[in-house]
Amino acid sequence: MEMKYLQLICIEGETGTSEAAAAMRDHIGPWFEDVVRRRVHIVGKPLDGPETAKTVRVRDGETHVSDGPFADTKEFIGGLDLLDCENLDEAIEVAAKHPVSWFHAIELRPFAEGLEIPATLRGEDLRHLLQEFVVDGADPVDPSALMAWRQAAQARGALLLGHALQHRDTATTVRVREGETLITDGPFLETKEFLGGVALLSCEQAQDALELASSFPLASGSAVEVRRFIDL
Amino acid sequence: MSAGAQAAVEAAFRDEWGRIVATLIRRTGDWDLAEECVQEAFAEALRRWPTDGVPARPGAWLTTVAGYRALDRLRRSARGAELLEQIAHDPLRSRDADSEDDHEEDATEMIEDDRLRLMFTCCHPALALEARVALTLRTLAGLTTAEIARAFLVSETTMAKRLVRAKARIAATGIPYRVPPPELLLERTSGVLAVLYLLFNEGYSASSGDELIRTALCDEAIRLARLLHTLMPDAPEASALLALMLLQHSRRDARLSAAGELVTLEHQDRGLWHRDEIDEAERLLAAAGPLAGGGTYRLQAEIALCHTREAADWPRIAVLYSALEEVVPSPVVRLNRAVAVALAGDLEAGIRLVSELAQLGELAGYHLLPATHADLLRRSGDLAGAAAAYRHALALAPTETERRFLQLRLDELDP
Repeated sequence: MEMKYLQLICIEGETGTSEAAAAMRDHIGPWFEDVVRRRVHIVGKPLDGPETAKTVRVRDGETHVSDGPFADTKEFIGGLDLLDCENLDEAIEVAAKHPVSWFHAIELRPFAEGLEIPATLRGEDLRHLLQEFVVDGADPVDPSALMAWRQAAQARGALLLGHALQHRDTATTVRVREGETLITDGPFLETKEFLGGVALLSCEQAQDALELASSFPLASGSAVEVRRFIDL
Repeated sequence: MSAGAQAAVEAAFRDEWGRIVATLIRRTGDWDLAEECVQEAFAEALRRWPTDGVPARPGAWLTTVAGYRALDRLRRSARGAELLEQIAHDPLRSRDADSEDDHEEDATEMIEDDRLRLMFTCCHPALALEARVALTLRTLAGLTTAEIARAFLVSETTMAKRLVRAKARIAATGIPYRVPPPELLLERTSGVLAVLYLLFNEGYSASSGDELIRTALCDEAIRLARLLHTLMPDAPEASALLALMLLQHSRRDARLSAAGELVTLEHQDRGLWHRDEIDEAERLLAAAGPLAGGGTYRLQAEIALCHTREAADWPRIAVLYSALEEVVPSPVVRLNRAVAVALAGDLEAGIRLVSELAQLGELAGYHLLPATHADLLRRSGDLAGAAAAYRHALALAPTETERRFLQLRLDELDP
């Protein structure tokens, strides 16, 4: 096992068709069993609807929280999984077997090096997700500020896992149409800012997640989106 | 420098570059390092072969020199020390470290696999198509960045960036350096073939750009297709693509008139065709197994082969186009089928197919649709209909040459 990927469930096009619903109902279970058995799946969960998202920006020391997701598009992220794969081919194969890729899309993003998965990480503990957005070409986040944020979040007992992703150029988007796996290089959303990292939080209260988001280094200069995980 | 040594280095470059780069990538996992060290090995050959003489096995000499360069560089970097540690424990990576001496058979096999690995990795579907093409030309064929930039009409800086990003993407996304497992092999092989055919067409059909570079693209595409066919003798579409390229390439000297205008197949001077290439293609197709279930390259190659005969077998061409249309349902293929059906004797049916295509509107704006219609109507004796269709085609024709050609046909209708 060599590479760790973030698998983003990308919802595009028509949603809620009975065909898609039936495929999800019939195939998500076997997909999950397969990836767990192969030890490819680390953790994963669906997210609450994009309309429930909050986006946090800090400007001139002041925190602004706006309703709705960071990217104001029809397409949205509906959930995520962390995968531990031999290589990109295995990640593509796993994504192509996920029924969401048959109707929508799945984006695969490798994590930056050095991601350690805590042995205690459990899907049922996931409550909130922070998506940290980066402006292309902006200065990288000061590692010491990032470290300080992590320590503070851990001290509150809220941070299950937080890590940066590799640059947007490393994204691969997978769609399956008429039985054929279509692979494109590049991210699902073509925006100026892109997802630079994620944090999985265990805090139950939205207020706690918002506070952690506003203290995240990228909230000033860029933005952090807060979404709630839902239980199946 | 002695001409003999110089020629030996050039020949080795043509034959060995991709092979040595491929082996070094496997051993070091570092594409840039591999390329640079192989380049240095060739520079070393240019210095030493004229005085020391050309080694008995130039490829082995170059591999050894490049390998030592790589080791040297790795020892000097921290990341390298770590890598050397891994290499020492990885049988796949270290097995042919001394390919000159022991295990020669194993090593040869491994090295052949290396070139396939490199081919499949360069053509991986998670890379943008333009990146696949650029990587294939740089790492496998050994073209310089400047040459590739010239062939694709972009600046050298743009091409250099494209290559850097492609290599970075391979490493960062975890694209594996391997021949795909059986369940992926068919799909990925057709991906490699598509890149090679694109390379060939880029050289063959584009009218702009540096003529020398374009010919080089065709030559490289054929060389790589030949290599793939050698490495995968059981892949029928690989041999079919090689045959198709050879058939098209065999007509290169007859395609343009002295004035630089395109000459259609029927008006070409057959004496200018490269007969040896046509013969090779014919042998490849004869050995390619039954035609039933043939893929798109096989069908296209069979059609191209029919066109090399003194009198084209139109009924057979019509059948082949019909099979091709089932594999690639495209209106252009159907238009070609219509012509074949008409020339095979059923003029009525051919005209009907063209009229249906015109009604579908998919080829609206494509001048060859009314031009074909006109030609078939003329043959059927409907001169008024033919004239109207020629006028329509004239209005759509994109180049002066084609307009002149159509005007001539129109004038002939009305003496």
